Amino acid sequence: MAGKAKVAFVQLSSCWGCHQSLLDLHEKLLDVIPLLDIKYWVAAVDFKVYDLKKLPDGGLDAAFVEGLCRTEEDVHLLKLSREKAKALVAFGSCSSFGGVPSIANLFPKNELLERKYLKAETVIDRNTIPSENLPQITNFVPRNDQIVKADVYLPGCPPTSQEIANAVLALLSGKPVEHSIKTICDECERKKEEKNVKEFRRDFEGKPDPEKCLINQGYLCMGAGTRAGCGAQCPNANHPCKGCSGPPEGVTDQAAKLIGTFGGIADMEPQKLLDVFRDPVGQLYKFTYASSPLSKLRSVNKGEK
Amino acid sequence: MKDSKEKSEGFEPYVLGLVCNWCTYAGADMAGTSRIQYPPNLRLVRVMCTSRLDPTFVIRGLELGADGVLVSGCHPGDCHYVNGNYKTERRIHLLTKLIQQAGLEPERIRLEWISASEGSKLAEVMKDYVQVLKKIGSNPLRNSKEKHHVDDKDLFGKEVK
Amino acid sequence: MKSKTSPIKGGKEPADAKKETEIKIDPITRLEGHGEIRIKLSKGKVSSVQFNVTSARFFEKFLEGRLAEDARIIAPRICGICPEPHHLASVKAVEDAWGVNPPPAAKKLRELLLLGKQISSHPLHLYVLAAPDFLLGPFAPPEARNIVTIVNKMPDAAKKAIELMKHGQELCATVGGKAVHPVTAIPGGMTKTLKEEQRDEWLKRMDRAMELAEFTYQLLLKIVQDYWDVVTKVGVIETYYAGLANNGEHNFYDGSIRVMSPSGKIEAEVPAQKYTEVVGEKVVPHCYATHIFYKKAGYPEGIWRAGPLARINVVERMATPRANEALKEFRAKVGRPCHATFAYHWARAIELLDAVGKAKKLLEDPDIVSRDYKLEKVEPREGCGVGVVEAPRGLLVHNYWTDKYGIMTKANLIVATNHNIGAIEKSLNVIAKQVIEDKIHEKLKLPKPMINA
Repeated sequence: MAGKAKVAFVQLSSCWGCHQSLLDLHEKLLDVIPLLDIKYWVAAVDFKVYDLKKLPDGGLDAAFVEGLCRTEEDVHLLKLSREKAKALVAFGSCSSFGGVPSIANLFPKNELLERKYLKAETVIDRNTIPSENLPQITNFVPRNDQIVKADVYLPGCPPTSQEIANAVLALLSGKPVEHSIKTICDECERKKEEKNVKEFRRDFEGKPDPEKCLINQGYLCMGAGTRAGCGAQCPNANHPCKGCSGPPEGVTDQAAKLIGTFGGIADMEPQKLLDVFRDPVGQLYKFTYASSPLSKLRSVNKGEK
Repeated sequence: MKDSKEKSEGFEPYVLGLVCNWCTYAGADMAGTSRIQYPPNLRLVRVMCTSRLDPTFVIRGLELGADGVLVSGCHPGDCHYVNGNYKTERRIHLLTKLIQQAGLEPERIRLEWISASEGSKLAEVMKDYVQVLKKIGSNPLRNSKEKHHVDDKDLFGKEVK
Repeated sequence: MKSKTSPIKGGKEPADAKKETEIKIDPITRLEGHGEIRIKLSKGKVSSVQFNVTSARFFEKFLEGRLAEDARIIAPRICGICPEPHHLASVKAVEDAWGVNPPPAAKKLRELLLLGKQISSHPLHLYVLAAPDFLLGPFAPPEARNIVTIVNKMPDAAKKAIELMKHGQELCATVGGKAVHPVTAIPGGMTKTLKEEQRDEWLKRMDRAMELAEFTYQLLLKIVQDYWDVVTKVGVIETYYAGLANNGEHNFYDGSIRVMSPSGKIEAEVPAQKYTEVVGEKVVPHCYATHIFYKKAGYPEGIWRAGPLARINVVERMATPRANEALKEFRAKVGRPCHATFAYHWARAIELLDAVGKAKKLLEDPDIVSRDYKLEKVEPREGCGVGVVEAPRGLLVHNYWTDKYGIMTKANLIVATNHNIGAIEKSLNVIAKQVIEDKIHEKLKLPKPMINA
């Protein structure tokens, strides 16, 4: 077992999609798995939390942490992973930026709990919020790296199987994990023309032409403000990019950057642009809200009067 | 984080001014040479055109604790670079809608068109803006940049009123 | 007192049979999700069993204020193994709210997308999550009971499993844009159709997938045979069952919600829009997931199960001849309804055969390459809509309310596995007693494991 890398695959509150993407290496998995000495992987292997705790600090070469901190248990696991691993990999956009569930930061915790347990149409009784033998829910979703330092970021929702394989192999050989410094536009093969958009449309309007740039056709494609790496999968499926791999190199605030883009290329009165963005946070920070300095306002500070 | 005490106890808002060289900055100069009095709460950053402003700068200013961000440039139609201010107008309106949805008072971003000869307009705007900001209180994001780290008290403690 | 995996390992008796002790399984493994099990013992007897689902992300609330068409991008992030069902239930809910009826070709493409998911998820469940226990046997060391051991000790089966999952996932990627979190289903239809070359290639691949599905089914039959004692004696609980039936036929994409009582009577059959007439949700203090039950039977008597066993129970027939053959075999051996929890895997293998067969049928339909895959005009409006599909692990309900701009104002979601939480706890109650008190593991007729760890 001398040459094997000791790894853990850890799941905080998450959807398993990044792990599925790893499994989607299919037969190539058979080349990767033998290189790994898997010490913890709840999804596929029967090790328990105390097995993870028993490891010496820094005993793991790498911990791939998928997901975000929504409960006390998530925070605990995240900190434990940091202790036990030489390299902590923020596996996926939830782990890197907060992900889709960080949109919940638009609501204070009590509203989240009330809707699910007291107000949902199918719930009977409507008098209980679970709390027995359960980890506490966090007041808001933080970025994981506000709690512990991450050594490698693997953004994407999910990162592609190839990106994951590249990262694993890089880590195994002690090389840095490489990321594109470009945007999705660079990977997208559509014909791009000068941008002077007179009319934007919603994703379900019309029938997109698969050859032309989606923004030129009036769709709100977030590709210009999104890091390349996935091969422009969604534009290739005739669908605008939603920004799932987070902001490009050097950009910390994805929404602000995209506002710069759309404000610059829209050829219309401001109000018309506003009408296209009825949900700015949801449209522009869909995967990265926990990264925004604004994201604690409604969940903790209760927002403006 | 949010200190409503500051609303009443001599709170002096910090206004970050992101202004264009050809119009508003020149106007500010003019206010100076004409000895027009206005509140000293303004800290100016000069750019050649307001369209140089990446909305990120505004967010950054707010994140670093500015109570208000004043973006000001040439009147529509008069932009030194023809159409830069139209881009600014769209960007700032959309950015304001974003921060409002996120729970930050929209008054914290203010867009004005102030020309080189309108030093007195700048003074009037500042007098008004300082009052508005005093009324809504200090920026709840103040101190957020210092506290990049999140601890258990933030995550599980009582929510801040 | 914490114990390794389960007392079935033997030798880990509660330290002091007079006292109160608690066995905590933390966390449960080989699944998607977060959970713990707490078994309280008093004087050696099981006094309580809790299934604690330890996380929730509150999608229902944060969908409020979103563009309705963004819900089908957001909701799949509930589950990365089964994003396709969420994507489709979401689109159906929006179309229902807005009175939009997509072209027939779009519905077929969507069904194909959903079948692609069943074709990869069912083998994933069977080989990666479930099989280790059966191939290695329940007394094998926990650290050996996983897919890595199967890869090493039964490489041929592992390769076939991987190949089958690959067909499923790549079919999802072809039709859905990407396999994990697809994008092509959109209010009004799809964003693209299949090209003829793609359709031709996939017809060939489905023939190969059928061979692999058949191999899986035969392996499952052997496992069921070998573990017949386990299937018929361990964790058998009588519950209600809920699943989609399309004029009595098994269908993942469309149909009405059928509810079957423990005695086998079809108690209700309602269209998706009327799901609130049958679905009841009980909030339980020790679980972030709710318990679902048949509303008219009350809680806990009405606790129901969804997923493969439930679907096999409620439908009259499957959609393809091969699966119908298998269904007949199944019902001859275990009856209808079958209450045996461990028969879920058998039902899953039957559904796998059906999914591959149905996918082939759809690929043979000329509509699957139709250029009429999207309505040009789709208008948002104020409305309420319900979209229901079958996810691999159960019925999936998305209920949305939108305003006149097509912005979500409210959402109610009942997700697949959630349907089974109450029943899982119920079966754990039974199994805990069987193992701890009755020591059933010492009395079961078990085969020699196919893999020696």
